[in-house]
Amino acid sequence: MREWWSKICRALHLQNGLENELSDEIEAHLDLLAADNMERGMPPEEARAAARRAFGNMTRTHENAREAWQFPRFETVLADIRYGLRGIRKSAGFSVVVILTLALGIGANTAIFSVVYAVLLRPLPYPNGERLVWLGESTSNEPGISVTWINFEHWRQESDSFLNMAAFATTDLTLTGRGDAVLTHAGLVTSSFFELTGAKPVLGRLFTEADDTLGAAPTAVVTADFWQRNLGGDANVVGQTLRLNGRSYEIIGMLRPGLRFFSRPLDFYLPIGPSRVTSLKRSDHGSMRALGLLKPGATLAQARTNLDAIMQRLALSDPGPEDDHRAYATYLTEETTGEIRPTLLVLMSAVGLVLLIACANVASLLLVRSTGRAREIAVRVAIGASRGRLARQLLTENLVIAAIGGALGLLVASWCLRTLVLLGPVDIPRLSEATLDLPVLTFAVITSIVVGLLAGLAPVFTAGKVDLTVALKEGSAASGTGRRGQALRSTLVITETALTFILAFASALLVRSLIAAQTSNPGFEPQHLLALELQLPESRYKSDENIRQYYGQLSASLRAEPGIEQVGLVMCPPGAGDCGDWWYSILERPTPARSDVPMTLFNIVDGAYFGAARMRVLAGRSFSDADRVGGSPVTVINEQLARQSWPDPQLALGQHLKVGGPYTEGPTLEIVGVVANVSQMGLDAEPMPTFYYPFSQKPSSAMVVMIRTNGDPAQWTSAARRHVSAIDRNVPIQSLRTSEDWLGATLKRRRFATLLLGLFGALALVLVSVGIYGVINYWVSARQREIAIRLALGATRSTILRWAAFDATRLAAMGIVLGAIGAWGASRWLKSLVFGVTEHSPLMLLIAAATVLAVAALAASLPLWRAMHTDAVQNLHEA
Amino acid sequence: MSTVDDPRKALEFLQGTLEVLILRSLQTTPNHAYGISQFLEQQSEYEFLVDNGSLYPALQRLLQRRWITSQWKKTPNGRRAKYYRLTPFGRAQLVAAKSKWMRFVEAMARVLAPER
Repeated sequence: MREWWSKICRALHLQNGLENELSDEIEAHLDLLAADNMERGMPPEEARAAARRAFGNMTRTHENAREAWQFPRFETVLADIRYGLRGIRKSAGFSVVVILTLALGIGANTAIFSVVYAVLLRPLPYPNGERLVWLGESTSNEPGISVTWINFEHWRQESDSFLNMAAFATTDLTLTGRGDAVLTHAGLVTSSFFELTGAKPVLGRLFTEADDTLGAAPTAVVTADFWQRNLGGDANVVGQTLRLNGRSYEIIGMLRPGLRFFSRPLDFYLPIGPSRVTSLKRSDHGSMRALGLLKPGATLAQARTNLDAIMQRLALSDPGPEDDHRAYATYLTEETTGEIRPTLLVLMSAVGLVLLIACANVASLLLVRSTGRAREIAVRVAIGASRGRLARQLLTENLVIAAIGGALGLLVASWCLRTLVLLGPVDIPRLSEATLDLPVLTFAVITSIVVGLLAGLAPVFTAGKVDLTVALKEGSAASGTGRRGQALRSTLVITETALTFILAFASALLVRSLIAAQTSNPGFEPQHLLALELQLPESRYKSDENIRQYYGQLSASLRAEPGIEQVGLVMCPPGAGDCGDWWYSILERPTPARSDVPMTLFNIVDGAYFGAARMRVLAGRSFSDADRVGGSPVTVINEQLARQSWPDPQLALGQHLKVGGPYTEGPTLEIVGVVANVSQMGLDAEPMPTFYYPFSQKPSSAMVVMIRTNGDPAQWTSAARRHVSAIDRNVPIQSLRTSEDWLGATLKRRRFATLLLGLFGALALVLVSVGIYGVINYWVSARQREIAIRLALGATRSTILRWAAFDATRLAAMGIVLGAIGAWGASRWLKSLVFGVTEHSPLMLLIAAATVLAVAALAASLPLWRAMHTDAVQNLHEA
Repeated sequence: MSTVDDPRKALEFLQGTLEVLILRSLQTTPNHAYGISQFLEQQSEYEFLVDNGSLYPALQRLLQRRWITSQWKKTPNGRRAKYYRLTPFGRAQLVAAKSKWMRFVEAMARVLAPER
């Protein structure tokens, strides 16, 4: 305490006084020593010199004594920072390169980390979000299918791993009675859903169990968005009614904005209890899933075992076709981010590699600089600076540089992040929430410090080992050519080259995959095709006949429009993904075991669709007018489904497909045709087995009208709208876009990942070229005299070039070999992102090698040219 | 590592011992830094070699703790030197430290060279 107080006083006023007094005291000390020496008979001069020798290291005595009265760390750190800043100003060119390198590396990392944090790491915005579990059922080959109501009820009542459980589903309903008919999106939930998600009302109240029972009066809770947009922001909405699909629902409350549990925005919530179809069987599947809140301390594995036990009990007490079903449970965080996780992790690792390259680059630059400073350091050691002190100062200098780089990096990051959020596909959950918040800033700060230390280590290691006599005797230019420094620099360049190779390879793979996906044959002609998505309001189109009639009329009127060549109907257009899947079996084939029943997508199309989409019919026929209600039920299957059972599509004709498989009810359809596969799940997805119902036999109120035009399909959008509203203005248009847009949208994530990885690859190439340039340039500078002597002794320019280039080539070759090994290992992680090419593609390895080699050659060419054109005479004269 | 101590080499100060020895050297009469180092070397029969790089910081620490004070004075030979003197507080510390170190030394001796 007392020491501190006196330190503060001295630090404030007395430092100079103390400093002078200490000098005086040491001077007096020397006088006394010298006087003793003279008494022993030494001449005065010699006595004085002997006194100095006997006293020892005066500078260190000074410094140590000073540290006793200063706050040593703080003050020397300030001094080091000042010194570092001076150094940065003095070598501006060098500093700019280092700082920019760091800013790019740290900036890119921070931006990607903020995305990773927002999407994968940030806790879910629900109370106890980390204990929320996504629940579904699993068959032996299909995990996570929907839960049936009865199973859910049993889970909720009998499970002892969960505090609370909620069920949810979504549905589309047509809102009428408030202007034009609109298609609305509803969440169907149990009353417990709001408890689990922590949702609160702004107006009115939320559901209670009473609202959630069968036979309760229909109620609705609206979202703030819907209230603003469709209800005019009326403060008295509670008590009003909404007419949905012809039924009246009383609005009982409005939610506080911010609940984003479902990936698409919802208009309102309805209790799931009364709206569900009365389900008597355990196998009545809809699209319902469940959410459970684990008891504190309960593990996911316990919960699974617990629910499975209930399922096994039920199989005994209430046997049915799905007795082999088990419970599916994963944490909500994993369920919602599972798909994007590998992509983000690949991007994070890639950008981490970029940072490592930046580090290696900076380390190598600092090394060049510090060997250039070897003389300075030697002088400082000679006048008494201790090793620790020197190392501390070099580290501080590097940290100052890293701090400036980090600060600039934050600017880079904020800019990158804005671009990322704009470019990123909207279906990445919570991407828009990525900001430079506290955890991200912490990440940036820690990264900067680690980078500063990491990049700074190399010069510090060599600084500790300065050989005084050598460094002082050698000229400063030659003093850095020590074998040690050169070896370290070479290692750094090899590492950099290897890392760059990995990135180049990964980028090449992804670009190749994107090209493969974009040019992959979608199985139909998406050009000149307009897709008009409709949903007929159930209240107005109650019977199948109404629906058939409406679509018939619309198709006919569209066909009459000039420029429209063909019009077909499809429930689920290519690129729209999975609109429904179910078990199936082939009657004429051996009956599969209960656990081996295969699954297939199903779709509904009219007779004109295959023609309008230009899908090839491989065998049999398309649907025709003969396939009508009451007639024999028929189906057309795709090639993929046909290949599962028959070697030749022709053989499928006349055979029978049993919908639902042997153990579930469903119609039996005669196969009348086989069509080519289309990119149903996306351009970069494997084809899935699919069968088509004829629209005439199984009409659906939600269909997409595919319009084949003879020019840019966008020109017909207003015509399409006109025809729709001319027939019935109460039919809402869900979407109206080109077929190419539907397909293109499936590649959004791939484009995003490819673009980023490509950018990182390019960044790595730039960095590595700077690194190679630096090292070769240094090599040439250090050997300028040697080159001049060789030239003077008769070496030709090409000998010099060969000699100098040998070093560069050796480094690049070793880097590429190491990189190829690394890339081979890393390609495993890329597998999920690769399409249309093997992840070990030798061609891509070759392209990556060629690129890295070309960049290395380019970077080395300037210093090599300098080496070749060394002016021997001038150089030797100067020496 | 050599296992036998080289008696030609000076002993190094153990942590905290230099301060006590400085206090002891000032017990009877004030002295200057050079005098202190001479006193310690002579009293220890040149087993201790005082390094000025340690002596000066130690003096600074003692000054800060107010265990000693300093004053510029003339030496008997008429030269100027900075003299250090024990404060009453420092004297009390010396008594305490002395008995502690004596106990320590005896204990060390008992352990290292037990009487047979």
